[in-house]
Amino acid sequence: MTSEVTNIVVEVLPRFEGYVYPNEATAHPLWGFLIVLYPYITGLVAGAFIMASLVRVFKVKALEPVYRLSLLTALAFLLCATLPLLFHLGHPERCYEIMITPHLTSPMAIFGFVYAWYLMAVLLLELWFDYRQDLVEWSKTTAGFKGIIYRIFTVGVTDVSPPAVALDVKMGRILSVVGIPSAFLLHGYVGFIFGSIKANPWWGNAIMPIIFILSAIVSGIALCVFNYMVLTWIRRHTVEMRCLDTMAMFLFYALLVDAAVEGLDWIHRIYAAEEGFSVMQTMIREKLFYTLNLGQATIGTLVPFLLLGSLQLLRRRVPEMVRRRMISASAAMILIGVLAMRWNVVIGGQLFSKSLRGVMGYKMEFAGVEGWFMGILLLGLPFVILTVLVKLFLSERLPTSGHTPHGSSTT
Amino acid sequence: MRRFQMPPQILRLVLLTLAIVGSYMVARVFLTPATFGQYGWYRGAALEELAARTPVYAGKKACDECHSDILHKLAGDAHKTLSCEACHGVSRTHADDPDILPVKLTGSHCIRCHEANPSRPAWFKQIVVKDHYSGKCTECHIPHQPTQSP
Amino acid sequence: MKTQFNRRGALARLGGILAGVLALPVARTAKAAVQRVFVSSGAARGYDPSKHKWLMCIDVNKCIGCGLCAEACKKENGVPEGPYFRTWIERYIIQKPKPGSGQTRGETLVDSPDGGMHGFPESPVPRDQIEHSFFVPKLCNLCEHSPCVQVCPVGATFDAPDGAVLIDPKYCIGCGFCIQACPYGCRFLSPVTKTAEKCTLCYHRITRGLKPACAEICPTQARIFGDLLNPVPDDPIQKFYEQNRVQVLKPYLGTAPRVLYAGLDKEVR
Repeated sequence: MTSEVTNIVVEVLPRFEGYVYPNEATAHPLWGFLIVLYPYITGLVAGAFIMASLVRVFKVKALEPVYRLSLLTALAFLLCATLPLLFHLGHPERCYEIMITPHLTSPMAIFGFVYAWYLMAVLLLELWFDYRQDLVEWSKTTAGFKGIIYRIFTVGVTDVSPPAVALDVKMGRILSVVGIPSAFLLHGYVGFIFGSIKANPWWGNAIMPIIFILSAIVSGIALCVFNYMVLTWIRRHTVEMRCLDTMAMFLFYALLVDAAVEGLDWIHRIYAAEEGFSVMQTMIREKLFYTLNLGQATIGTLVPFLLLGSLQLLRRRVPEMVRRRMISASAAMILIGVLAMRWNVVIGGQLFSKSLRGVMGYKMEFAGVEGWFMGILLLGLPFVILTVLVKLFLSERLPTSGHTPHGSSTT
Repeated sequence: MRRFQMPPQILRLVLLTLAIVGSYMVARVFLTPATFGQYGWYRGAALEELAARTPVYAGKKACDECHSDILHKLAGDAHKTLSCEACHGVSRTHADDPDILPVKLTGSHCIRCHEANPSRPAWFKQIVVKDHYSGKCTECHIPHQPTQSP
Repeated sequence: MKTQFNRRGALARLGGILAGVLALPVARTAKAAVQRVFVSSGAARGYDPSKHKWLMCIDVNKCIGCGLCAEACKKENGVPEGPYFRTWIERYIIQKPKPGSGQTRGETLVDSPDGGMHGFPESPVPRDQIEHSFFVPKLCNLCEHSPCVQVCPVGATFDAPDGAVLIDPKYCIGCGFCIQACPYGCRFLSPVTKTAEKCTLCYHRITRGLKPACAEICPTQARIFGDLLNPVPDDPIQKFYEQNRVQVLKPYLGTAPRVLYAGLDKEVR
């Protein structure tokens, strides 16, 4: 978040250098901080889900302690994913049109369906199948409001016989397998929203969806690390180092692939140096200097890369305490870095004129729909929801059933 | 064998899915605008609604109804391509009700086009106003027949 | 959503069947006559959008940069004050190269103060240092393959059968995607209606047989408005074709504009 503050400092008085089309000479870019948050939040959802899939599909047993937490994280953020989009609309009350008359050539129209599919058919279902046995159990033992909630979520199915539970596990696995391409679809399409705009050389790029997916996986795993550390700290549990180290390992390799692909993109852009390259150079040197070089490249990629990379090599020799610190610091830095990356994509694409003759500025305000306050609120909301979800579904007081998510106990 | 019996949880989900898809279909029927799809993937009535706006500029044809003599003069000289409202301003009210007179003109209208400017094409008649004449344009030029003097 | 679902489930199946039946009339209207004539009271009568194909030709050599078109457009369409333009004029000043620089041209200056609607200030470069200078009127490029229409998520912007690219102000959700997708900067989000707005080719005028305000007002006929399906005797569009080699803006984007330019320079984007 700090990375944006710097952009305000950089803001110089002549707001337009060179020529910008008259319609582009508005006070704010059309898509502001809310649209920065939108791919960020969606990416966290996709990443957290991929993280959970590691347990179920790829049977990484070390990650079992964070399986449910990652799924709940994905859910909490998915519930908020539409909000920034909704708030930035000129006519939010007309949003239903996107479902009623979706224009199928528009990547944005598919959003309603991809979102609904992902929420209803993948995430909620997987959670439901995973929790069903527990929900039935809890609904019997818990009284009061909580009990009612559990009962509602059982949807009236109380069959917890071994074959029924076995079916749950099987369904969960199928959903996870379906979920991985769905998560890619959910976030790949967000990348496509930008990548499909041929009018904008900063966005119109075939590998934009891939970059979005990879950075989403990185940020999602980082968020799970972050949430896991916070949860254990609140509950005064000890961190399971095996789990944390495994997460750090996946985080490192995800970051490696992400950095490689993003680097490739940059090499291509610089080498091809197509029309408008000079205006983009100006932009990188001036308008995006801090968010790109400091936020995205240094804080978001280079430092965590070195920290996590050194852990991969020297894990045995680093004391646990230091390792924990290094991993959580890397996770936090990656979370900031990916936010900076979204900023660079969304805001960066609007800081130069499509006439390729000038650059615009952006000064973020505190109040207003696209302001700081709203942004922080929208970033905080998923955590509030997550807290409620954790209280309800990850309560320590409730016994959990014996079945493991990857289903090794049954066949 | 009574092998196949739908497990209860799957049955519930199938019903739930049907409920959701069904309510979506119903909502779609009620919320789709009536003329949607008339010409394409949009509200056909929008064409009419956009066309319903009242024009502001009356157009040369409207002027021709009463001032055909002036238009005839205009057509015979260098200003033949000019629209009446380019100089006389928006004259819709005047076209609707001839008693409401159009805006009075000043020389600045002439200068707007004829002031010398290096970006203007060379074929276009331009003057450097301060070197040209300090009086009224109409002292020497008839706007409707600019090649003639009064 | 998961409560009382027994009743709901049954209802839903019923609803599904019902929906299928009810969807039929919608499908029927979709197929129904493209030939339908306008009937509403305010609109021009007898205009059939399928019987026209509008285009605009712009001769850069004729534009004198008076700004009457940009001004007329604002007045005609009630375009909000400020940086909102459905049409505007750009001034290009291409300077002579510095002697011995080995370049074909000097720096190119472009400006469009207030969309050019009040004319242009004096050239910032003295006349003897200017190699070329000219004005370029800009408006919606009437793309055959409009990227803006392609990306509209709800079908609020569309290619009308007569070739105009329009926005349904009652249906636009104001997401701004079309504004991002337009390569020519021809769209803006209106601060008044909170919807996207753009050149409608003065749809209320052309449906009444009038020219768009900009073409009507242009003193040098730099803008020629015409109909590809209804050539008039001594058609100015045909003449424009015969007399000029035409270009479009940003042809490499494959948008196939129907706004054709004569006398463009490579610097014009």
